[in-house]
Amino acid sequence: MKRREFVARSCAGLATLSPLSRVALASSVAPWLLVPMDDAQADHLKAYGLTFRLLERGGRAEWFLNYRNGSFLLPADAATARDAALAGVTTEPLDDGRLVQIRGQLQEGNMDAVPLEKAPKVAVYAPPNAAPWDDAVTMALNYAGIKFDKIWDEEVVGETLKTYDWLHLHHEDFTGQFSKFFLSYAGAPWLVDMVERNREVARSLGFPSVPAEKKAVASAIAAYVERGGFLFAMCTATETLDLALAADGVDIAASYADGSPMDPDASSRMRWDRALAFHKAQLELSPTMPVYSDIDGHRVNSPDRRQPLGSFTLFNFSAKIDPVAAMLVQNHRQVIPDFYGLTTSFTRDTLKPSVIILAEEPGTPWVKYLHGERGQGTWTFFGGHDPEDPQHQIGDSATDLSLHPHSPGYRLILNNVLFPAAKKKELKT
Amino acid sequence: MSRAFDLERRGSYAAAAEAYRSVLATKPGDASALLGLERVLLPINRSAEILPEVRAALAANRSSGALFGVALRAWAAVEEPDSMRAVAERWALATPGDEAPYREWGAAALSRRDRAGALAAYRMGRERLGRPHALAAEMAQVALTDGDYATALREWIPAIEKIPGYRVTAVATLSQAPEAVRPQLLRLLAREDQFAARQLESELRVRWGDPLGGLRALQSSLPADRGSAVEALRGILDQLRTSRTQEALLAQGRVLEALAGRSSEAQASRLRLEAAQAYSAAGDRDSARRMLTGLADDRTASATVASGAGTTLVTVLVGDGKLEEASRRLEDLRQSISPEEYGSLHRSIVLGWVRAGELGRADSMLGADSTIEGLALAGKIRLYRGDVPGAIESFKAAGPYAGERAEATQRTTLLALLQPIEADSLPALGAALLQVERGDTAAAATSLEQVASQLPAAKGGAELRLLAGRLAAASGKSGDAERLFRAAAVKEAPATAPAAELALAELLLGQGRAGDAVARLEHLILSYPESALVPQARRTLDRARGGVPQT
Repeated sequence: MKRREFVARSCAGLATLSPLSRVALASSVAPWLLVPMDDAQADHLKAYGLTFRLLERGGRAEWFLNYRNGSFLLPADAATARDAALAGVTTEPLDDGRLVQIRGQLQEGNMDAVPLEKAPKVAVYAPPNAAPWDDAVTMALNYAGIKFDKIWDEEVVGETLKTYDWLHLHHEDFTGQFSKFFLSYAGAPWLVDMVERNREVARSLGFPSVPAEKKAVASAIAAYVERGGFLFAMCTATETLDLALAADGVDIAASYADGSPMDPDASSRMRWDRALAFHKAQLELSPTMPVYSDIDGHRVNSPDRRQPLGSFTLFNFSAKIDPVAAMLVQNHRQVIPDFYGLTTSFTRDTLKPSVIILAEEPGTPWVKYLHGERGQGTWTFFGGHDPEDPQHQIGDSATDLSLHPHSPGYRLILNNVLFPAAKKKELKT
Repeated sequence: MSRAFDLERRGSYAAAAEAYRSVLATKPGDASALLGLERVLLPINRSAEILPEVRAALAANRSSGALFGVALRAWAAVEEPDSMRAVAERWALATPGDEAPYREWGAAALSRRDRAGALAAYRMGRERLGRPHALAAEMAQVALTDGDYATALREWIPAIEKIPGYRVTAVATLSQAPEAVRPQLLRLLAREDQFAARQLESELRVRWGDPLGGLRALQSSLPADRGSAVEALRGILDQLRTSRTQEALLAQGRVLEALAGRSSEAQASRLRLEAAQAYSAAGDRDSARRMLTGLADDRTASATVASGAGTTLVTVLVGDGKLEEASRRLEDLRQSISPEEYGSLHRSIVLGWVRAGELGRADSMLGADSTIEGLALAGKIRLYRGDVPGAIESFKAAGPYAGERAEATQRTTLLALLQPIEADSLPALGAALLQVERGDTAAAATSLEQVASQLPAAKGGAELRLLAGRLAAASGKSGDAERLFRAAAVKEAPATAPAAELALAELLLGQGRAGDAVARLEHLILSYPESALVPQARRTLDRARGGVPQT
């Protein structure tokens, strides 16, 4: 009985795939391509781009959670086979018999198949000027060949943001303090440019200061999530977004940013109910210290409080009960070397109880990778700046991902890009 | 103290700290003990604990710079800028006119990444000391961290004037300036008339790929004083020796010649020989000959210098095409040089005859040279005579490792070119490849294309077109190169087509035709998935699509 049910389900799975695949079925003995994501894969990062582009063409795919480290099932149509060959992505031809066997394995273990139906429309929040640091997500998207639009404050505060399914934030400082480099890098050309542009945009949008304008941007982003958007943030965007949200009516910016000093009682006056992930954090009062609060466990720019890098471990989730969390941690490595960012990690004491921890550094008071919901949408926070450049310094050249095609850290970023493509009814978390 | 040192050496930092503390309890102003305590507290992340000892030390010893330095760093560690300032001011009062208090104050601020605090310390130092260029090196380093190369340059000049040893650091840091900024820096340097500015300009120009410009800048203001001039020339020579470009070698020759003119006779002979070698390597044979005049036959010169001059003269004569004279000179030298050096020069004369088109003479002079370099040279002679199987045989016998890397690569490429050709004798091919050997790439490309037209694509035609295309591209004839690459990229020659497609894609990318390049690369990857060039093609495809940073 059980076997009959799963065969019926397998056939249903086949039938739901792209019409292109039916053409392939008629013309080929191997109508499917399995994209293995274990160590057999030649380019893990480009595998995501391959799947994404199939969805863009109107095709459909399946994500086999926990099967060979999160493999993809794609139709073996000519366009997909061509794309895989060009990208150097390893694929394995799969006939119907073998597919049925795999579906059987998925049924019996902590695995599941998640249909991927529609390529999400991706936006990356990035200032128009060239910052002297790289952006891991932009690099990952470029390398994988996933199209995205760059948007900034005008689009976020305006109407444009809601046209996107997925929004990425990286190194931005939503407290409006220019990454707190204002004093330590005073006079540096890139900082002068950054300050000037931010002030100009704040003026043009009718705000009295950059911190006030960034609070409005943070609120617009939170509202976007509330309405069903997918938010993925890295590095200092995670911490400062929540600080800006919680600082409703509280001055948390140094005087160089808004003309008035930071409220010395700011920590006790924060409205943490407005924040996505954090609460009860203590804010850093020094305007010269490029640290915002005790949310970050590593505090890379605080010489006396800086913590050394270790490794973080991904949690295992039930693919059938918790497919969202399971999708976000699909990887061929469970333990991944840590990497610094202006915000590297998140202290456990500052996490709201509802937050799902996706990765932690065991035995330490901090975690690395978080997920949660707000209204109809979800957010994911990933600490650190560049998974393949653990000590990334201002002015360092961008990472060449063709030298890191198997990067497990970058895979986590790309899990997030594909996750919104999953069929909504499957998202049980 | 010795116990404390021993504990520190063994890595028992906590115990060492206690030992240093016990010394300081009886001698609170002991600078060595306080410095030791500072060292051992750092690795155990307890730097802030030094403050009581620092206070006691400053009370006991009011003039030690070392103690003030520790105090500054201690206050920096606990983020007490007011206390840092108070210590620095006390130190400055104790040692009026000394830059050290401000330097250490700035350094302590920088250790906290407080650039603004460091700048304030340095500026105050300048003001209080009444010297506008005090702490210039420190100001330069801060400017560099901002990427402000112009300010850094203005600061480095007085710093170097004061302490010439700073020049090495200044050149190393300023040479990193982005290309767009360099003209501005050179303009700034041109406005300065100090010799330090000229020296800095000369070495920066060398680093930025303009060795002759660098030399001109230096020569325009070389001091009359012999010692200073020699030191300056030696400085630029050190920079020039890091490069092997023709211009750098030429500049090296000129510097060595200038040094010879300022040296004693015995040293001058050696310098003239080195100059001749540099000129010869740069292709300036007239200058090389001028340097060697008299040196090779100078009975008073040392044996090493004389034989060095003799061998260099042989090289120069070969370059001049005076092969008979080169042979005579070489025979004269035979007893004074090693057999390996003799063999190498002998083969260079043979190659000279080859390039002169005297293949018979070259063959007879090479004789039965059975070294691998000799076999490789024999292969070339056979090839240029059109003896395809003979050339293949000799190249195979020489193997892939003889000679320098470039020669080995060329030989392997030639072997790959010849192997598909079935004809036993192809004098036209030999003549075309001899044109390549002589450096006449434009004519060689035309000749190779003509030979290719007589061969099937899979039997050498495609390979010859690919080579002709590469020569055309190197000659700047990109239109011809594109036509030849396209003609070589045919499915009838599957061993050649991927290389031709990749070469074509690189050519198109160089012309800014990324879309066309992408199409060729995609065709290569999809049509020849087993080709060893596919990974390189994918990498180029990423570059063409902007998927990876430009390098």
